[in-house]
Amino acid sequence: MTTVTAVGTYLPPWGSARGRVLGPDEDAVTLAVAAARAALEQATTAGSATAPDVRRVVFVTRELPLLVGGNAAALLAGIGLPDDVPVVEQVGGGPAVFDTLGGAEAGTLVIGVDAAESGPVGAAAALVAAGDGAGVGVELVGRVVRSLPVLSRANGGGARDYSDARLERERGVGVAIERLDLTDKPVVVAGLPAKQARALCAGVPPTLPTTGASAALFAVAALAEVGGGGLVLAVEQGSATALRVDGVPAVRRDEPALLAPEKLTRTPGPDIAISLAAYERAFDAKLRWDAGACDACGTLALPPRRRCLNCGSEDGWSLTPLPRTGEVYTVVTVHVPVPGLPTPYSLAIVQLDGVDVRALVKVTGAPAGTVQIGDRGRLVLRRVAVRSGIPDYGYALYPDAATAADAGEGAVR
Amino acid sequence: MRRVAVVGAGMTAFGEHFGLGIKELLPMAVSEMAAHVDKGLNRDDIQAAWFGELTTSDGFPTGILADTCGLLDIPVTRVENACATGNDAVRNATYAVASGAFDVVLVVGADKVRESSARSTFWEWAGLTRDMAWDYPLGLVAPANFALHVARYLHESPATKEHLAMVAVKNHKHALPNPKAQLRYEITVEQALNAPVVVAPFNLYDCTPQSDGAAALLLVSEDVVERYTDRPVWVRGVGLGLDRVMHQHKKDMTTFPPTVKASKAAYAMAGIGPEDIDVAEVHDCFTGVELISYEDLGFAEKFGAYKLIENGVTSIGGAKPVNPSGGLKAKGHPPGATGVAQCVELFEQLRGEAANQVDGARTALAHNIGGPTAVSAVTILSSQRG
Ligand SMILES: [Zn+2]
Repeated sequence: MTTVTAVGTYLPPWGSARGRVLGPDEDAVTLAVAAARAALEQATTAGSATAPDVRRVVFVTRELPLLVGGNAAALLAGIGLPDDVPVVEQVGGGPAVFDTLGGAEAGTLVIGVDAAESGPVGAAAALVAAGDGAGVGVELVGRVVRSLPVLSRANGGGARDYSDARLERERGVGVAIERLDLTDKPVVVAGLPAKQARALCAGVPPTLPTTGASAALFAVAALAEVGGGGLVLAVEQGSATALRVDGVPAVRRDEPALLAPEKLTRTPGPDIAISLAAYERAFDAKLRWDAGACDACGTLALPPRRRCLNCGSEDGWSLTPLPRTGEVYTVVTVHVPVPGLPTPYSLAIVQLDGVDVRALVKVTGAPAGTVQIGDRGRLVLRRVAVRSGIPDYGYALYPDAATAADAGEGAVR
Repeated sequence: MRRVAVVGAGMTAFGEHFGLGIKELLPMAVSEMAAHVDKGLNRDDIQAAWFGELTTSDGFPTGILADTCGLLDIPVTRVENACATGNDAVRNATYAVASGAFDVVLVVGADKVRESSARSTFWEWAGLTRDMAWDYPLGLVAPANFALHVARYLHESPATKEHLAMVAVKNHKHALPNPKAQLRYEITVEQALNAPVVVAPFNLYDCTPQSDGAAALLLVSEDVVERYTDRPVWVRGVGLGLDRVMHQHKKDMTTFPPTVKASKAAYAMAGIGPEDIDVAEVHDCFTGVELISYEDLGFAEKFGAYKLIENGVTSIGGAKPVNPSGGLKAKGHPPGATGVAQCVELFEQLRGEAANQVDGARTALAHNIGGPTAVSAVTILSSQRG
């Protein structure tokens, strides 16, 4: 039995009634960071005033951005966790997320992400209480692991769809559920189309935005709509895992209102070269959203620099977290084609709240050209560019106007 | 320091010279300059050269200048200072003559922008002038670099996009009689406002074209000036100014502090003020930059630039004509050549020989602003020895 302190969810704004899709500046890491931050913010408000105790991160997805090179450091920096927290990068779907959650050690942050180009995409994270923290109890009921790769994607190969829905239903999900030998009907099922899920459930289950790894945790979050705990099932082709959740967890949703994807122009041209030396020097400040604070006078500099902007001291500086909200000082929109970057895009200089620091960032989550001088927003981790095949992460301005439309209960403002 | 005079000036036409490489453009400009020295020039008289080139078309710039122009026995120094390269080359050569080290020196500026595809040029320049980790991957292409300033300027000042369009209309009109100009056609305010967006708030006609070209000047000391001409143009002041490199570190983006610093230095050296300038070539890589520069150069009060363009003050026939050549906007902008070519235009203006002559011009100013809006160079020329 483990205790879930909080669940956080994230959906990109872009998409259609069929589901959300990635923005041009998003991947599995940026999605994971957004959901994880929502979960940790919820855990902070729900529990003690101190930051949640995260001892381990398990990142489950089938769309890891870097197979060689790794995503763990970017994930920890984006979430704001220390660099000595172990990270498991796991390839898997909904059942794998429940396997992890059901047997998780105290202080584990489990993140499930769906980030396939074809969508639907989304991310959700659950924090397992460290010690005897508050939350809802979660218990593994059973699992069955079988193979029926109706959808497949081999290492280095393209995706294939065997395209036989009845086979999948009867010999995949059907047999898996039969083998689980459940004593009662589930209240939510992750990994199936809405109609199929409804047929298996007691009552009318909430519709989930995704079907992969994140769907399992979206299902746990959806217990608020069910109105109580119960049996929750995650299925994936021939496999399934069942969890019993004994209540409604605290949930924070970062789920902006739906926007039609922008028509973007992608221009072929020379690769945007990367200097890995420069990348490594900038990494901590750039991904953790830290300034260099002058040891002599405290003046903040972004990026950190040897010689203080104010007092001229060269004696040293220390990384200090920057505010994550601010106001647009100036903004422009690039329409001309730029090789390697989807156009159009807006660039803004943002005056951060409460400090004498401005940042030059791209605008995210809103159509290019819609942000004006004086608009407010928050700074979020995004994939700024892909340079020589390497994701280059940094911060972007998410305008408040873009999220305000869906600022319902629990939404991140 | 000794007084320094310009006694010869020449340039290639600016344009898309697909058929001419840097090795053709350089000797063309130098030979045109030499042919226009009133009393003739023996090339052996040239004691040193300064060469402004932003990029490195066909490689090693100083060697290419020396090799292609027959100057193998003199020292040649490359100057690279972003879009302020041309006037900074003039500045360095001026000091070399003023100091007494040399009596006769050559200043050349050139660039071959159209050696790469039109699509990739802005991006290649961005790679030269941006922080590799923090700014480059954001796609801060050259027009965006200036648009960040102009967007804020339009927000704070009474100027509007119509005023930007008026600058484009004026400079296109000025370029009409200039045989060296790249864009010799008139446009209307409506055309400018309705043109495709490049980087908002800039439309197509707010932007300089991509240009190839070269320009050359001969600078001599007061001790030898009479050997070359009886009508010299004096270099009365030079100045260079810098600023913080990253936009996020510039406190007030409605001004270019490098221009304020460079012009202050040049005015002080010349012992004159902005009111004494009869004609100016101002860096109008983007229309809004010309407006902001009116204020930074002291031609207008803060946020008063729109009145000058609205009232025709800076048109030919106005009280302070700006960019009679057509400016970067219509004459063209091969970065290394631009500042030198501004001085070529002003040399002709001050001798009463310009294609688009400003009546009675006696004192003139040339201005560049460039890089990530972090460097400016200003040169003040006059027919008056001072
Ligand atoms: Zn300091």
